[in-house]
Order: sequence, then C-alpha cells, then structure tokens
Amino acid sequence: MRLASCLVALAALAAMPAAAQAPRVNPKYADLVKAELVAEPGAVAPGQPFAVGVRLVMKPHWHVYWRNPGDSGLAPEIAWSLPAGFSAGPVAWPVPARIPVSGLVNFGYEGETLLTATVTPPEGLEPGRPVTLRAKVSYLVCERECVPGEASVSATLPVAPPGTSVRPDPRHAGLFAAARAQLPTPAPWPHRVTEEGDTLTLHLDAPGLTREAVADLAFFPYSETAIEHAAPQEVTVDGRGLHVALKRSSLTPAGTITRLDGVLALTERTGDAAVRRAFALGEAPSVPGTAPPSPAAAAPPAAVAPPEDAPAGVWAAALLAFLGGLLLNLMPCVFPVLSIKVLGLVRQSGESLGRVRLHGLAYTAGVMASFLALAGLLAALRAGGAEIGWGFQLQSPLVVASLAYVLFAMGLSLSGALHLGGRLAGIGDGLTRRAGLEGSFFTGVLATVVATPCTAPFMGAAVGFALTQGAAVSLAVFAALGFGLALPFLLLAFWPAAVRRLPRPGAWMETLKGFLAFPLYATVAWLVWILSQQVGPGGLFLALLGLVLVAFCAFVLERARTAGPWGARAGMAAVLLAVLGLGLLVAALDRDRAGAPAIAAAGGPEPFTQARLDGLLAQGRPVFVNMTAAWCITCQVNERTALATQAVTAAFRAHDIAYLKGDWTNQNPEITRVLEAHGRSGVPLYVLYRGPGDAQVLPQILTESAVLAALDRAAPARRAALSSPQE
Amino acid sequence: MPTRRTALALTALLALAPPAAAGPQVDRPAPAFTARDADGRTVSLADYKGRTVVLEWTNHDCPFVQKHYGGQAMQALQKKWTEQGVVWLSVISSAPGEQGAVSGPEANRLTQERGAAPTAVVLDTDGAVGRAYGAQTTPHMFVVKGDGTLAYMGGIDDKPSAALTDLKTARNHVDAALSEIAAGKAVSVKTARPYGCSVKYAS
Repeated sequence: MRLASCLVALAALAAMPAAAQAPRVNPKYADLVKAELVAEPGAVAPGQPFAVGVRLVMKPHWHVYWRNPGDSGLAPEIAWSLPAGFSAGPVAWPVPARIPVSGLVNFGYEGETLLTATVTPPEGLEPGRPVTLRAKVSYLVCERECVPGEASVSATLPVAPPGTSVRPDPRHAGLFAAARAQLPTPAPWPHRVTEEGDTLTLHLDAPGLTREAVADLAFFPYSETAIEHAAPQEVTVDGRGLHVALKRSSLTPAGTITRLDGVLALTERTGDAAVRRAFALGEAPSVPGTAPPSPAAAAPPAAVAPPEDAPAGVWAAALLAFLGGLLLNLMPCVFPVLSIKVLGLVRQSGESLGRVRLHGLAYTAGVMASFLALAGLLAALRAGGAEIGWGFQLQSPLVVASLAYVLFAMGLSLSGALHLGGRLAGIGDGLTRRAGLEGSFFTGVLATVVATPCTAPFMGAAVGFALTQGAAVSLAVFAALGFGLALPFLLLAFWPAAVRRLPRPGAWMETLKGFLAFPLYATVAWLVWILSQQVGPGGLFLALLGLVLVAFCAFVLERARTAGPWGARAGMAAVLLAVLGLGLLVAALDRDRAGAPAIAAAGGPEPFTQARLDGLLAQGRPVFVNMTAAWCITCQVNERTALATQAVTAAFRAHDIAYLKGDWTNQNPEITRVLEAHGRSGVPLYVLYRGPGDAQVLPQILTESAVLAALDRAAPARRAALSSPQE
Repeated sequence: MPTRRTALALTALLALAPPAAAGPQVDRPAPAFTARDADGRTVSLADYKGRTVVLEWTNHDCPFVQKHYGGQAMQALQKKWTEQGVVWLSVISSAPGEQGAVSGPEANRLTQERGAAPTAVVLDTDGAVGRAYGAQTTPHMFVVKGDGTLAYMGGIDDKPSAALTDLKTARNHVDAALSEIAAGKAVSVKTARPYGCSVKYAS
C-alpha cells in the first residue's frame, strides 16, 4: 500500500516536467480532434469554383474556436498547399456558440464543425490526371484545459473533361448542406452602434419586430477587443427595431467604436416553429462553392447607407423648432409678459446693466430647464411605452389619427373656436413681479407654463415629432424651441434700449394667432393623407368623422364655459361621450387597415386574393403563393435568398407560373383562412398550385435550389414544349 | 467662497460623468490586493509603492505559458527587469484541483526547475486577485507604475499563438512598456488583446 502510493507520487513527480515540455504526447490528450479534408463535387471541372471543407470532429465537451475566440483561446488556421494554378478563398466561419468557462465566455464549436472555403481551379486542367489538395490545420482545442494540435489533411479528386457538369459527391452532400445552413446570411436591416458610458448599444433598424418573436439572441463581434464577451447582452425591441446593450471592453478607450460588425444569432418564433437564424452585420462569409462575389455584391445593400439619426434631419428639425420658439414670443399670452418684465427690470429696479444681463441669463436657464424637463419626460414615456410594446411611430394609423386630432384641436383653439387654459394665464402676471435671480429663473419656468394656452399648438407638434424620434433628436428639438422662446428676452436684457423698438401689444397679435391656425390645419391634412395610405376608404371615413367629433367637442366646451352650472354639467357629459366615441373610432380605424397595395410593384408578384388565385387556376396556370408579413424575419430572409433571386424570377417567367404574395402584416382574414386550410397558425407559408386541388406546400426555410426544383416540377408539360425545339 | 463654489460645481460634474467600466483601466489606479505567496508570506501591492510592479498570470500546464517558458523568454524577461529593481509577481489563480493549481513548495520547485526569477509567486487560490484585475488568460500581463497607476494590461506580445517560433518575431508589449517607463517616457501600447488558456477559476 505504502509502496503503491510512493510509486504514484514518484510517477506524478516524473510526469510534471515531462508534461511541461511535451504536452502533445500525453495519452490523455490523444484523439481530441479528428480532422479531414472533404470536397463537395465528385470531380474538378476546369475553371469552375467548388466548395471544400476542413471537418473537425471534437471529443465530447471539447471545443475549437470561432474567428474571434472570445475571452481566451485561438481560432484554427488553415494553410493550403494546392496544385499550381489553384487558389483558395477565405474560410467561411459557421455561427459559433457561446461557451462559458467559469465566468469567462468563449466563442466556438463543440461536437463537430465544417470550415468551408471556395477553391478555384485553373482553366487548363488535364482530364484524367487527378489533383490532390492539401492543407495544414493548426488549432487549439479546449475543454477546461487547452491543447494545441496540428493536422495535415488532403483530398484527391479526378478532373472532369471540359464542358461536362460535375455532380456533388453524395457522401458529402449532407455535410455541406448542414454547413451552408450554419453560415450567417447578410442582415436584411442596417445596423449602427451608439455609446453611453461603458455601454455599447447595437441598433438594428428592423421595424415591426416584436420582443416575443425573438429569443436566445447572441451577438458575436468580429473584433476581439470591442466588448466584454462574458457580459450579459440585454435585448429590447421597440417600434424602430431591435437594440442589444453590450458592455464596452476595458481594452478599448471610450468613444473609439464607430462601427460594430459581427454575427447576430437569434431564434425567431414563427406561428408554428422556432427557427434559428444568424445574420452577418457588415462583412458576410461568401457561400462556398460559388465564384467569389464582386465587392459591390458582397456588401449587404442595407449596410451601405446606415440611416444614422440623420444629422441633417436633426439640424433642420432644431432650426424649425428654434424659429417656432421665436414665434412663440409674439403670442398674445407671451408678448405682453415679455415686454413688461424687461421694462420693469430696466426702469424700476434701477439695477446695473450687468445685473440686468444676469437676470436675462437666469430667465433663459429657466425656460431651457422646463423645456428639457419636458423632453426628458417624453423620452421616459416613450421608453416606457416601447417596453410594454407600444410603438410610437407614424406607421401606426392609431398614432397618426391621434396626432391629427390633437393638432386639429390646437388649430381650433388658435382660430378662437376653443379657449384652453384661460385661468392659467392670469397667474403669470403676479409671478413676473418677483425680484432676485431666482425670481427670473422661475419667471422663465413659469413663462413656459403660463404661455401654455398659446404655445400648446406648437408644443403639440413638437411633442408629436419627439414621440416618433429618438431621445437625442427630441432633446435637440426641445432645447431649440426653448432657446427660441428665451432669446428675445435675453437680447433685450443685454440691450435694453431695443425695447423702444418693439411693436406695441395690440389687436395684430390676435390676427397673427388666427393666421397661425392654418399651418396646423395643413399638418392635419398631411396626416390624413398619410392615413389614407394606411387604411381603407371605410377607415378614412371614420378618421374624418373623428375630426368632426373633435370640432363638436370644441363647440360643446365653449358653450359650457358660458352656460350656468347645469349647462356646464351637460357640456361635460357631452364631451365625455364625444371623447369615448373618438376612442372607439381610432380603435376601429386600426382594424380597418389597407390591404397590401405597396408590395404589388410593377413586374413583381401580384397581391394575393382568393378570387385571383381561383381565376388563375381556372385558366390552367400554375400559381405560387407566398404568405408573408413585414415582421417575420424568416419570410424576409427567404425572399432575399430564395425568391427574389434572378434565377427564380427567370424560372417564374420561363414556366409561366403566376406569383401571388399575401401580406399578413395586418392579419388579413382571407389569408388567415388559407393558413388554416394548410394547418398553419402563422407565416411563412409557401404553396405551389399545379392546378385546382393539386397543391404542394414548400418548407418554411427555402433555398434557391429547392424553389427552382419545385418550379421545374410544377410545369413539366410546358418545359417539355420549350425544350423540344432544341433537341 | 468662489473657489469653494467652483469645487462644488466640479464635484457635481464629476458625479454626472459616465460610470467607469468595471475591472481595471489603464491610467487609473490599479486595484489594491493582499495575498499569500509560495513561502506563506503576505504580499500587498501597497508594499511596493514607488516601484514598478509586473503581474503575470500563469499556469504551468497551459501550452501558451509553456511557449513562453519553453523558449526561456519569460525567464529572461524576469531576470532583466528584476535586476533593475522591478517587482515581478507571478500569480496563479487556478482553483484547487484545477489545471495549474500548485502548493507553495510545488510552486517553488517549478520556479527552480524552469530557472524563473519572479520576485514572488502569488497563490491566488480563491481567484480574488484574478477577478479584481479581470485576468482572463494565462499569460495575462499587467504593469503597475510606482505611483500605483496601471500602465499596461493585456497579452504579453502581439503574436497570439502557442508556437515557439513566433517568439522571435513578436513585439513583447511588457518589455516595451517597462523600457518606456524606465526611460521616463509614456507607454505607447497600453492595452492589447490577452491570449492564452482561460484562467482556471473555480466554476
């Protein structure tokens, strides 16, 4: 016993330095990775690019790494030794997994993976002489411990005579199909990154997504030093898209990251299944076995022009808001206050010019503070709304109609048909009489509040705008509005002499106020026009009826103001009823959305209706039906990768197959019936009708080749007719 | 009075500044620590005030560590700089039972066998020092200046590999940073991607 333990200790002692010098011969680490080189085709055709792959099969629980290995580890490297004239493209990295190792996170592959690349052979190859492709693969494989390894792999292929088409090697077809399915596809949405403190937020402009539809999201950055790999990635979805909060790596100084490219993996819950998807943001791996794409084609079109919170737009909005703020000074409730306050300061207090200027600055600070507080409140409301799933956006008829009603009511108040907050205006005068710098500051605050009856119409427009924009934009707009309002007072405080040049308050102000109602009415007209593109004629009628209700409300309110207590109560009841009616109208409006005229672009697919489908089938034409929705990621990806491609478009034309597209974004009941008829509760659904009662349902995840094969089968007679003259 | 008001305003501004990223940051004070070394003595960063300190996370069974010791590069670097008064602490954060975890005597024997020359080997068995520094890999290097600020953190060089042959062509970031500090110059490369095996913390 004692001898045995001594022997074990001795063996351990002996093993220690040995392990330190030559870890690779340790039997514990034998056969951790099996590497082989596989080629997709059974033969090489001269000049025709084909796919090859280095297959790595790991012992259970051991992993190799992605191009960015994460917190530790090392990406595998492939060094090619190819026959003369051959060239190999870059490795197309499959989507990795997050592999946690005691508090750290690595990005890599467990089980097995196929690292594919495209090999392009030269034109002048001698048929009959096989070619051998060789590669040296160096990798680091880890469980908790890490072992570096190296493997020399090769594959020998015959050369096909020129002009013959080579067939895929059936032994490897499954491997390559699986590898292609694991490659990220170019993201259909633009992406950008913003930074706040040590949080980097990745934004994907994917409007219409819902939080419930997205699960298990993981972002893998290409850069090794951009983010803390192990930090949680917080996902939020709002009306404008998807946002992933990441932690900036301590290796990267603040403010240096302007672009964050990588791979975003997520699971989308469609009506019937959960589909794992991966998108390349920025550079995307090229699909192996195809000719290397031209740089222009490789770049995802969306990423070329990421719509930042377009600075030009922000400046224009801020400028308009500034002008609006200036205009506010001419409003009947602001203008008298302004001149009285300034004159009072200069004449009565007899204070020095410097002191008066300080008062001007304090007033400006007060106005700006109130406006910024309002902007902050709105931003918080907006964020809160997004959290519980409201999208404040002009895509929603509900929001558009509500904005139209609010602006219309404001217009009525400017026109004098309605008096809002009359009681508030009286408080103002008393407050402006306070002395001291704090007095001036609060005068600024109160000028903002007190001026509400006149400013509300403009504020309404600004609030509406702010709700549909990001926090930065709304802050800028409100700051500009506040500065515009405060500027004349500030200028007068600095040059009191200018007071004498001001026009006297008078009837002209009422005229101006009445005139300013018209820009608001114009905005209402524009909103109704927007609405007309979102809802059907019935919905538009309801919306216009809503405007009538708003006018009626104003009328009742005005009457009630001058009536006795009984009249006032009756008025309130009438207004309540009218408001209730408005709510019902707006809700009804949301249900009656327009069909899908937008997607029926010339030359593209026709919009789906059951009548059109029946008609086409009666004519004997085969029909392909695509049921889709704007918020369905899988649908968008299928359309980009398998339906809108040149080959598929050509096949539709060649086989004279009609293409009907149903947009289920707004839950069209006619489409719901078709989905139910095929046992589905959601989109996507792809059905190919060869004739009445002869329908083939295609899988939810499409590939171009599968669609082409299905289209080929759909029109056998026609294809025979087309090809016979050539034979 | 005005100065006090200014000071107050500045404090308020600082309070509004974005929070610092967790973990250490270069040009900020390095996290303080106290731990035991292989001889059972207490080692504190504060003990070395005024001297440049190098922290080297290590695990003798990790192939990346073996690359740097196998090529005698790490030992040479330790000798070169400890002779010039730099404090070199090799830190082992492997949890007991994990790869690289050693007792005090084992650590000393490793030092002797490999001809290493650290000032001390810190046995961070509970991983507290490692987590305070956010040490991810072995090796993972940190250089602390005499005034206690962190001057460098990251990989030991710019060739992330386990191959000995890469030692010759790599830029050793630690050697460069120590040279610049010794010459009274600013450190030119303050951070780099750490590479190697993961630190074997308790899971």
